[in-house]
This record gives sequence, C-alpha cells and structure tokens, in this order.
Amino acid sequence: MSQEKLHATNHYLYYPDEENIPPYLAYGFRPIFLLLAPYMILSMLLWILAFSGVIPFFSDDILVWHVYEMTFGILTAGALAFLTTGLPELFPGMVPFVGKRLKYIVLLWVAGRVSFWFIDFTGVFVAASLNLAMLGWIIYFAKDTVFDKLQRHASLGYALAVLFGLEAWFFAIQASLIEGDAMAVLKLSIGAVVVLILLALRRVNMEAINELLEDKGIDAVYISRPPLTNFAIFAVALFSLGEYFFPNNSTTGWLALAAGAALLAITNDYNVKDGFILNQPYVLYLGSIYLFLALGYAFIGWDILTAQGVHANHLRHLITAGGIGLSYLMVMLIIGWIHTGRHLTSNLATHAMVLSIIFAVLCRVGIVWFEAHAMVLYALSALFWCTAFGLYIKQFMPFLLAPRADGVKG
Amino acid sequence: MKFLFKILKDFPLYLWSGWGAIGSIFLFIALWDAGHQYYGSLVLPSPLETFTTLLGMLQDKEMQEAIQTTLTRAGIGFGIAVILGTSLGLLAGFFMTASMMSRPIVTILVGMPPIVWIVLAMIWFGMGDETVVFTVVVASFPIVFVGSLQGTRTLDGDLSEMARSFALPWHMKFFDVYFPHIFSYVFPAWVAALGMAWKIVIMAELLATSDGLGASLAVARSQLDTAGALALVVIMIASLLFIEYVILEPIKREVELWRS
Repeated sequence: MSQEKLHATNHYLYYPDEENIPPYLAYGFRPIFLLLAPYMILSMLLWILAFSGVIPFFSDDILVWHVYEMTFGILTAGALAFLTTGLPELFPGMVPFVGKRLKYIVLLWVAGRVSFWFIDFTGVFVAASLNLAMLGWIIYFAKDTVFDKLQRHASLGYALAVLFGLEAWFFAIQASLIEGDAMAVLKLSIGAVVVLILLALRRVNMEAINELLEDKGIDAVYISRPPLTNFAIFAVALFSLGEYFFPNNSTTGWLALAAGAALLAITNDYNVKDGFILNQPYVLYLGSIYLFLALGYAFIGWDILTAQGVHANHLRHLITAGGIGLSYLMVMLIIGWIHTGRHLTSNLATHAMVLSIIFAVLCRVGIVWFEAHAMVLYALSALFWCTAFGLYIKQFMPFLLAPRADGVKG
Repeated sequence: MKFLFKILKDFPLYLWSGWGAIGSIFLFIALWDAGHQYYGSLVLPSPLETFTTLLGMLQDKEMQEAIQTTLTRAGIGFGIAVILGTSLGLLAGFFMTASMMSRPIVTILVGMPPIVWIVLAMIWFGMGDETVVFTVVVASFPIVFVGSLQGTRTLDGDLSEMARSFALPWHMKFFDVYFPHIFSYVFPAWVAALGMAWKIVIMAELLATSDGLGASLAVARSQLDTAGALALVVIMIASLLFIEYVILEPIKREVELWRS
C-alpha cells in the first residue's frame, strides 16, 4: 500500500523483536483504550447503581470513593497510555513498551479496578497496594524525564510524583493510619491532575496542531508558549492550596477567579501569526478543554464569593468531567488516529463524541440551577457520557484491533 | 480606512488577549482580600465590599456629576497640551535652532514636580477649574512636545530626498512619507500624556477644588471612609485602564507595527 509518510512513523528508533505480538498489544495505548472506553461506560452504570443503593458498595462514604476512582483510577490509565506512547517519541532511542510486559502492566491496572470496586470485601490495603503499585510503575517508567540532563519534560515526572504522594496520603487516611480529611486531599489531587494535564496538553497541542496544519497545507506555525501555561499552573496550584487550607474563604474565591482567567489566557496561543486556525475542529476540541477548566474555576470562585461554596460539588464537574474528561477523550482521539497510522481526522463521529461530553457536563452542572429536575439531569448526563465513549468504541475498536494502516510496526 | 478596518478586525482577539492580565489582577485582588482579613475593614475593606460601594456610587447622581467634571477638566487640559505640544514640537523639530533652544526649557518643565505647579497655580488662579486645567497642561505638555520633536528630528533624510527627486505631490509627501513616521512617535507620547493628565487632575482636584473625583476622595479621607476611598481609586484606575488598553493600545499597536 503506497501512502505518504506520516508524522508519527518516526515515533521510535527501535521496535522490540519480540515475536507474535498481537495487534492489541503492539503499542502502549492500544490495550488501554480498548479497556478504558468500555470502562468509562461500565463505571458510569455502576455509579448509578451504587449511588441509588441498588448495589451496596462503599458503605462508608460513597462520594469520597467516587471522586477517588474518577480521579486516580482513570488517571493511571490515561497516564499509562500517554507515556508509553509519547515517551519513545520524546526520547528517541527509548524502546517502546509492548507485548507481554505491556499485558502484565495492563492487568495490574485491571486488578486495581477490581480491587477498588470490591473494596468493601477485600479491604483498603489490597486496593491501596495495587493502585499505588500502578502509579509507582508509571513513575518508574517515566524516570527518564527526571533524569534527563536537559530536563525538557521533567515537570511531567515531578507532577506524577506529587500525585503519588497525594494518593498514598489519601489511602493512609482511608485505612485510618493517619487523621485527615480524605475529600480535601482528593480536591488537592484534582488540582494536581489539572497541572499534569496542562503540562501534557502543551506537548499534545504542539504535536497535533502542527501536524494538522502541515497536513492541510496551512502555512502557519503553532507555538504553545510556556509562560502562559506556567502562569495557569501557578494560579491553579495557589487555588488548590488555598482550598485545602482555607476552604470557602473569600481569598480562595478570588484565587479561583484568577485561575479561571489564567486558563483562558492559554487559548491565545491558538491565535497564530500568519494564519487563521480557529476554524479547525481539533483546535476547537482542544480549546474547549481550557474553556471548561476555566469555567469550572471561575464558577467555583464566584460560588465561594457569593454563596460560601455550597454548589462547588456540582460546579467542580466542569473541571473534572469537562476539562479532564475532554482531555482524556482528546488524547484517545489523537493517538487513536495518528498512532494507528492514519491522518488526524475529524468527522461526524468525533464531533458527536466531543459534543456528547459537553452536553453531559452541562446537564451535570445544570443541577445547580434546575435542582427540581436533578434526577432527569443526572440520567441525561450519564447517557451523554456513555454515548461519547460508545461512539469511540464504534469508531476506534477496529483500528485498535488491527495493525497500523501504514504498515509500520507498533 | 483600511487602517481603521484592520484595527476593528483585530479587536476581538486583542481583547481576548487580556485574560492573562485579568488573571494577574485577580491574584492581586486575592492578596488585597488576604490583607483585609488580616488587618480588618477599617484599614483595608474587602474587595467585595469595595465593589459593592462602587456599584452604589455609580448610581449616585452626585458621583456621576463628579466623574463628568473630572473628565471635562482632564479632557480640556489634555486637549490643550496635545495641540500645543504637538504643534510646537513639530516646529521645533523642523528648525535645528529652535530644537536646540527648547531642550533646556523642556528639561526644566519635566523636572518640576507637579505639586509645585499646583501651589503656583493656586496662587495665580485661586481655587477652581483654571488651577486644575493649568496644572494638567503644564504636566502633560512636555511629554507630547518631546515626542513630536523626536518624531520630526528622526525623519529619514534619504526618504525625503527620494520623495523630492520623484517630485511627489505635497499630500503624498505628507501622508505617505512624513505622517506615518511622525505619528508613530507622537501617538505613544499622547498615550503617556493622557496617563499623566489623569493622575494630575485627581491630585489637583484633591488640593484645589470642592468638586470632582479628587474632591470626593478628600471627603472620603476626612470621613475615614476607606471603602469609599478605595471605590474611587477603582473608578480612576478602571477608567484609565479602559481608555488606555481598550481604546488607545490597539491603535498604538497598528501605528507602531511598521517599525518592527
């Protein structure tokens, strides 16, 4: 098959010479996305059953465990896919992590999920050791970022290390080893996840958008300027610390507004010199991540200043389901196209996936204003969420299960 | 026309680029809020309280009149400074002798603290509009003057020679050769002078009049109304930021674009 050389064909120097690697284990992202998309749907259904009391899980505090799983359970999958796929590209010479070893690590993630859902029966320690081992392995895998002399991507490693500390702290509280407010630690962790995502997005943006511009023959260069991202990271970190130490204090509210504005400022990168790219679907998709993160912080800030933060729980879904959820979907879309040897494509299905997530978030957050219809909105939100990942399965399952379209290994 | 169209076209994205600045301002407000919680309302009212006072003030008829009075004074003073400064600066720029003569005088004008001018003006004109307008003119004139002097002095001799040898008609010579160059110096000077005028007008009003924003500030001070004083400060800063960054800066960017 003759096809012009695609960007991501130079994403590694050596491919391991393990024999008989099935396509679904041929590269780090493949097994993860094959599991993560169905898991997003399955877990949503399980949460509905758990919150409504049909299945008697998480007897101690279901809300805390919900936040934990949606923060760390999904994060480890996302980070695993992102790093096993991206690191060999960032550090040429690194051998891709594939085959049997990949299978065992993915099984570790699955074991982490099983131990989580059955935590009432197997206990906190089993879930803690499996899940911490998972994140610990990811950090071990990403150690090159920190040991790199030029420190180009070290921030990713440090952010992961901070998250490991936060997860260990959370489990220590849950296992009654130390005193503390588990929910406050989880909120802090969400801040850390946002920081990690901002760091990762800067790299994803540079890769994806420039590839897109080259692909479409648009003569412009997109540059993601570090100061804008760094300012947003600084503001988000300040707010997260403020929220931990002084929850619902007015100063924390202003810090949230600052974080919101700083996140919106990043979107100025899309205003490139010598060109107009705001009409490109992927630019709008990626831009909507910043928009939702910004709206989340801004609304939480407004809520703290005017209503002592009573709606923060609902509004936070703009950050988590919206900003973070869209980031996972975007990573799944971009890697799903490019690293299966295809052009970065937008079609009706990709529009529908992004819009479904957006509708899911709007329904979830709409509960603040339409409390009387809360049940309907919860249901609609879950439905839209499942639709997004259902569409993903339909579009990408065949790609993930087949060898690369351009015949390259991986 | 094309120029105006380009400014309007770039305007929405220009406005959007302000989010970073807004973020910094919010961080500053957070610091202010922390200060309020530490020192209490008398020393430093909370930002929220200040903004509430501000909203009340803006609906108050007297305050609207005060704002108008101050704007008028600043406008008249700034207008005179611009007309005088620009025309005299141009004249001085075209004649080497005049330029040489005017330098030391401008240095004296720039070096004189505005507060001294207010005292002198109060002796000369008494308490009232003239004192304020005079001080504004005297403080902002040198800035405009130096700007337009520089603009004229730095005209590219080769370019004007070329214009002469091609026998360009006078209007082309003016609009295509001289004007863009001089304007790119004069306009930023106007912006700087406006900032100066706005600061001076408040100070002069505070000391020398019984109406206007500056006078309201004096009243707030005597009544220990910290929230009111801060609200006035917010009005002053917000109006300056609006004029400078929303109206003038986009024009300035276009004007200076050719230089880089």
